Amino acid sequence: MASSWCWNCLSRLRPTPRALLPPSATPRISSAPFHSTAVHYAQPAKKKGNSLTVMKHRQSTSLRRKKKKVADRGGRPPAVGERKALRKRIVLSNPNALEIEGMLDLSPETMVDSRLRGTVLGLPVPMIDQLRAVQAFKPKQGWSIFRRPGTVLRRDTIEMGRLFQQLSGEGDDAQKGKVVKRIVTGMKGSGKTVHLLQAMAMGFLKKWAVITIPDARELVSGETAYAAIEGSNPLQYVQPTATSALLTRTVDANRELLASLKVSQKHPALKMLKPSSTLEDLAKLGFSDPAVSWRVFQALWTELTATAPAAGLEKDFQPRPPMLVAVDGLAHWMTESAYRSAEFKPIHAHDLAFVHHFLSLLKEGDSLKNGGLLLYATSSSNNPNPKALSIALDRLAARQAGISASSPEYPRPPAYSDADPRVLDLLQPAEKAVSPVELQTLGGLTRDEARGFMEYFARSGLLREIINDQWVSEKWSLSGGGIIGELEKFGRRVRATASASK
Amino acid sequence: MCFCRKVQASNYGKTLTLTEDFSRGSTRATSDGPYDCQNTSQPTQFKMKSLETFFGIGNNSSARLMSRFNIHPTCRVGELANKQVLDLTAVLSEMKIENDLRREVLNDIKRMKETGTYRGRRHALGLPVRGQRTRTQVGFLSSLS
Repeated sequence: MASSWCWNCLSRLRPTPRALLPPSATPRISSAPFHSTAVHYAQPAKKKGNSLTVMKHRQSTSLRRKKKKVADRGGRPPAVGERKALRKRIVLSNPNALEIEGMLDLSPETMVDSRLRGTVLGLPVPMIDQLRAVQAFKPKQGWSIFRRPGTVLRRDTIEMGRLFQQLSGEGDDAQKGKVVKRIVTGMKGSGKTVHLLQAMAMGFLKKWAVITIPDARELVSGETAYAAIEGSNPLQYVQPTATSALLTRTVDANRELLASLKVSQKHPALKMLKPSSTLEDLAKLGFSDPAVSWRVFQALWTELTATAPAAGLEKDFQPRPPMLVAVDGLAHWMTESAYRSAEFKPIHAHDLAFVHHFLSLLKEGDSLKNGGLLLYATSSSNNPNPKALSIALDRLAARQAGISASSPEYPRPPAYSDADPRVLDLLQPAEKAVSPVELQTLGGLTRDEARGFMEYFARSGLLREIINDQWVSEKWSLSGGGIIGELEKFGRRVRATASASK
Repeated sequence: MCFCRKVQASNYGKTLTLTEDFSRGSTRATSDGPYDCQNTSQPTQFKMKSLETFFGIGNNSSARLMSRFNIHPTCRVGELANKQVLDLTAVLSEMKIENDLRREVLNDIKRMKETGTYRGRRHALGLPVRGQRTRTQVGFLSSLS
């Protein structure tokens, strides 16, 4: 085939019409002259999209990613409640930790012994089940690293031990029948919850009736059933399931005590109660039937606070012991709850009968007729932080410091702030009366106490350091002045580095 | 009302079963037989979610309904007392939900089409009704109308 170029003038000649040319043996390359593949070997061109194809709406056309297949890890999925059980599990013993020789137990004698200040006292083994029943141990506390649970005897503990002694009517300055009402506050990690645990342990040692609310939040977070009390004004609400749980806790922990006390009052609301039954039988009525649990709780409370038997029931009456009421996470009770009224308005926590009952104990007068101790702790890790409570606590501190309510230094809510008046009134004493509630602020350990605590880590085999005054002093400063939660981290952290360097 | 709802406290009186009996023809193909929502309200399911399976009840209405009968937010269907179930069903039977509501919506659209309003025309054309732009991104909107 002749070239289509004119070699004289290098211009392109007019191509011969294809129809006139004889069919050539070699295929004519019409495009892409640099391709080495012959046209008939080339793959057939793909069909272009038909313009009549309906546009697909609601489907992205720009980016299509392949979804990654989730690798099957094998095994069965966790059963219902299994993961929660694991999360809430409380381990109180570590067989790998060393046993400390000569470790003393908490007992009526040791808990007031100021010579033992700074040492760690073990919780008596038979009592651990009781403490578990009242949920004194919390899952995130570090019980699981030691051989057996123990707590430091710090200044506040000894002072509380003496208080228990007085209120039980022992010792020199016995004050049997007195009620001490305290709100425990303090920085994060200052040991408020463990302080409550120590109080419960002392209560069990002194054979008191111990009633606890381990998490105040559970009552207001809308997780348990509630029902309005007909005819109450302002309308109050009962929480039958939560009350039932409280009765279960109380009976499990105080079984021996409740089984020894007989019913001494008349309870017309509880028809099924026999006159000769014990308080344990009474409380058990509320276990199975949440519908009557609130009435059962009220009956149990009147029994425990009774000072004299009703007419006709004098037989078998024994004087009631003092009571310890411990509440953790008080701030949750100082806001509106997650429940709503029938008109869809939020229910204030103080309108829940359960909460109201325990808060009304803080008011003036002998709320516990047989004496006892009320310990209401705030929490700093789980804190809704209601403004009104912080002002009320500031006021409490100011009154303790002797600042009068008319003084300009007396804390007041900021102007236009919506501080809850119900909360402010709760802790406000009547005119010129002495405030019935004390504020106890837990601070850090002293250096000596901190040394005792760190020695406990070392003797358990967790801390590989030579513990001398200089080292303790350094850690004491680093822990914000002996905040026990921070000190515990030092004990654990060193352990982590020691195992890594192996 | 063209239907009645009954509550059957099934076996152990826990599962909420709503039966709808339509006396007239309705828009739902499945409504010839009893419409059983048992599948959607398991005893272990949160009450709030079970209520929201009804067409016409969203989170606000369900929360209001529940607070009206003192049912706590994390209540499960199995935990309800018999009386609460009865009360709840009594209220539900008076509310315009499910097929009643569906029919009302369709009737409204039909009326707009018949009277020849702008909205009716837009519905008929399958184009956005509420003044949205149609130059781009019309797919989702036209699927609604």
